[in-house]
Amino acid sequence: MNARTSLLILGLAVLLQACVGGAQKPPKELLALNDAQMKIRSFQTRAFDANDQNKVLRGVVAALQDLGFIVERANGPMGLVTAGKFGPNGRGFVELTVTVRAKGKEQTEVRVNALFNTKPIEDPKIYQNFFAAVERSLFISRG
Amino acid sequence: MRRPVFRWLLVPILGGLLSGCVQMPKVETFFVLTPESAQHRALQTRMFETPDEKELLSASAAVLQDLGFQIEESRPQVGMLRAAKERGAREYGQEIMQSLIFILCAIGGKAVITPVDVHQQISATLVTRRSETDASRFSVRILFHRSIWKGDGNTGDQHIPPGQQSLEVINDAKIYQQFFSKLSKSVFLEAHKI
Repeated sequence: MNARTSLLILGLAVLLQACVGGAQKPPKELLALNDAQMKIRSFQTRAFDANDQNKVLRGVVAALQDLGFIVERANGPMGLVTAGKFGPNGRGFVELTVTVRAKGKEQTEVRVNALFNTKPIEDPKIYQNFFAAVERSLFISRG
Repeated sequence: MRRPVFRWLLVPILGGLLSGCVQMPKVETFFVLTPESAQHRALQTRMFETPDEKELLSASAAVLQDLGFQIEESRPQVGMLRAAKERGAREYGQEIMQSLIFILCAIGGKAVITPVDVHQQISATLVTRRSETDASRFSVRILFHRSIWKGDGNTGDQHIPPGQQSLEVINDAKIYQQFFSKLSKSVFLEAHKI
């Protein structure tokens, strides 16, 4: 290997390293809120006319169990539930994080984030179905 | 001259059919109550006439311990317990099948070893909830499920690494009946079906 070839290899290595370095930078909009995200947030949130945060949290857990989800974690004081569900024959996986917080004095707000195969679910119908199950669970509990 | 064309057409048709077999379920199906949902709910739930939720939870933990489970998480504020136990998952049926396939493929000149289940973790998630109509009654809902891990194998040309995982919910009525009968004895209470 002569001096010119060695120099060329060295130069190429430096150039390639620069490319890798550039790719590693996180995107600027990583933590920025855009309109689409605000819309998704509104699908993911619903307020219930109940002032007992713990009761609503338990209603959420019961609704998740009815839908066949496995509740992985539940934290009362934090109002937090995480759950998961495998599809038939182990195909596909949905994971959920639900937070339950008091909204004013009369209402409780439930927010759910759902992932399907690690990708966020952005279909409003899915969230409507989830909240219908929570509503039913709270209603059954009242009756 | 027509036959080869048909033969070539058959390949994509068969391919399409096969890919249909392994299709991913639609995400909508994960959030729908099925006719079985009510059956599963009835199977997994019993009502107990006690006003003391903590007593019910600690009795449930004791029964799970008797059944060989380790309690992994307890959240009395939410009325939740999570427990698990590790067990072997070897089954004669699978091993006999593995040997049969091996022998058949060996005749054809390939050493095919199909992976079999070797290990499983059985988990239980239990949740208590006060009845709204009667404050002296609590429901207990328990769900048993298991994760299964496969051993290694060989396709004849390539090694299949161990560790392939699958998960299934246990819907065997006997297992739930056994658990609830033990729990009723443990709290000296009669369990009522919902």
